[in-house]
Amino acid sequence: MRAIMIKVLARRAIMMAALAALAFQPVRGQDSDSKASAGAKPVSARAANAATGSSTSDVAKTLKAAAEAVGLARWSGVGGQRLPEVDVVNTMEIWGSGTTYSPAASSKPGEPWAAFKTDYHVALGYNPPAMRVEMTRTASGAAPQHLIEVVRDTYAWDESEIGGGLVPGKGTATPAMAAAKNRSLQLWILPYGVIKSALAAGDKTRVSTENGATIISFPLSGQLADVMVKATLDAQNEVAKVETRTDNPALADLVTETEYSGYADHGEIATDVKSPGHIVRKQGGHPVLDVQIKMWDANNPYLVFPVPENVKKAAAH
Amino acid sequence: MTPRFRLSRSIVTAALLCLLPAAVFAQNNGGPRMDHENTLPPTPVGPTPMAPDEHPDLTGLWNGLADNLLGVPNQMHNVGIEVGTDSTRDIHSGVQIATWPLQKRGRQDNEQNERAATLLRRMGSNRPIYKPQYWQRVKDFDANSNEEDPSNNCMPAGVPRMGVPSYIAQTPKYLIFVYPGQGGLIATATSYRMIPTDGRKHTNIEDLDGTWNGESIGHWEGDTMVVDSIGFNSTSWFDQLGGYFHSENMHVIERFHRDGNTLTWTATVEDPDVLLEPWTTTPRVALLNPDPKAMLPESLPCSERDFAHVVTKEHH
Repeated sequence: MRAIMIKVLARRAIMMAALAALAFQPVRGQDSDSKASAGAKPVSARAANAATGSSTSDVAKTLKAAAEAVGLARWSGVGGQRLPEVDVVNTMEIWGSGTTYSPAASSKPGEPWAAFKTDYHVALGYNPPAMRVEMTRTASGAAPQHLIEVVRDTYAWDESEIGGGLVPGKGTATPAMAAAKNRSLQLWILPYGVIKSALAAGDKTRVSTENGATIISFPLSGQLADVMVKATLDAQNEVAKVETRTDNPALADLVTETEYSGYADHGEIATDVKSPGHIVRKQGGHPVLDVQIKMWDANNPYLVFPVPENVKKAAAH
Repeated sequence: MTPRFRLSRSIVTAALLCLLPAAVFAQNNGGPRMDHENTLPPTPVGPTPMAPDEHPDLTGLWNGLADNLLGVPNQMHNVGIEVGTDSTRDIHSGVQIATWPLQKRGRQDNEQNERAATLLRRMGSNRPIYKPQYWQRVKDFDANSNEEDPSNNCMPAGVPRMGVPSYIAQTPKYLIFVYPGQGGLIATATSYRMIPTDGRKHTNIEDLDGTWNGESIGHWEGDTMVVDSIGFNSTSWFDQLGGYFHSENMHVIERFHRDGNTLTWTATVEDPDVLLEPWTTTPRVALLNPDPKAMLPESLPCSERDFAHVVTKEHH
């Protein structure tokens, strides 16, 4: 009898504990909501502090809003409803057309650069950081040029065809190490690169307001550590403008100004990731790119960027 | 009834069918669960039992904790995304991924959930590196995987895509692996493998008819069981997502390491016909079912009953 009573009491105690736990859950949930406001607790941004001029919650809220605006912060109810939201953007592929500009061999400082009608195709990834820009461009009256410019981490090379130099007899890879910083910058000033690198900059990221628009400012890191980024958000919290500057005269070509507009899900496979429909970029004061996007696949497609052996060897010397 | 309502109902039905086999497993042997709060592997508990030959005894019912076709947490684990309570890491690259802890959040409809799942399951960096001439084919296969996946229509998943066996029997001369079929969305057939560990060599490759599971031979390297397989057909894909096709010259090396009540599995795929370099899966950790009376439930009859309801082109 005594044993039965003990069992009953034990069951009651367990029931009480379970009910208490259930009652506590919603309270804890609301509390965490109110503390985190927009729930902004990304790994790096949560360390932001008032010494930067932006409060932790301002920075976190702003970056979360920017991440949500382009569909970067995501969770799924397909058996994953209890997982936190994470940054889902890794690989992307872009097709567009428009005009690119580059200095002619005979051009003098201050002269406008030559314009090319350009078919623009980009494969990119953030983990590892890499970008392959393929352009078929035609100047007035000239034969088309086909360029494939690749960067991965600190390696840069030009391919004669996609994946050139990886398999004997299939194209070549020409090392272009001097272009690594510039090419890498193109990756990090895309809207997703801005959000990722602002999060990664942690307590160095600041949020302010200019003419009613939200501004996010932060330094890049690694090989771009001398570059400061100033990103302007539009009313939908989408990255509308990105300016980069540097105090290092040796990196003057990394001073850029890029405008993004026409955000939508431009992918063949719908992902709810919004991408710009129009990109306009100036570099060192010169227009370099004006491209209308035809398609922007953001479904983390299979895109890889292995570094050819001859490029690794060139980098080692 | 409006077409939109019919579509929603079809999607919900497909989703429920998708959940069914997992629910059956959960009732019978404790996993896999569909409500993970993280994708961290289980921590080993207890001693590692040893067989009479003084090697670890792999015998047991392994719940394939992170190793079935279902659920975002399992797929994220399998592609190497380690989600913790408030931080996320790509195991292969070590890169930290921005994470916003679970909070009260708005509802998502089924299509929003599926589009998010598409991204979450493909965000890992551990991808096999194909020769450039095959990059477009892999991308196309993945983008159209609901049509192209060779394991559709109750065909086998094959080695190594089957992953961790749900049951292992270890005898002095053989290992027996059992893989129950998935009766849900993108159904796969029940499969088994009989793997000699008696020191024999592989059959000459020219004398083997290519099959889905190939010819497997096991041997011990220290406390790790290494299962070496050759003699495949070129029909299967070698991972659950990604459109990762292979040639008949694929060579697979699986490694099984038991630590207490956990079994860690990896597979290395060598295929110089199509890959630039060997590729190794992210380690998957299965948990031993502690119930000595636990049984594998009978698999549902394999019947591709959900395909008519699929509204996307790629697996989500």
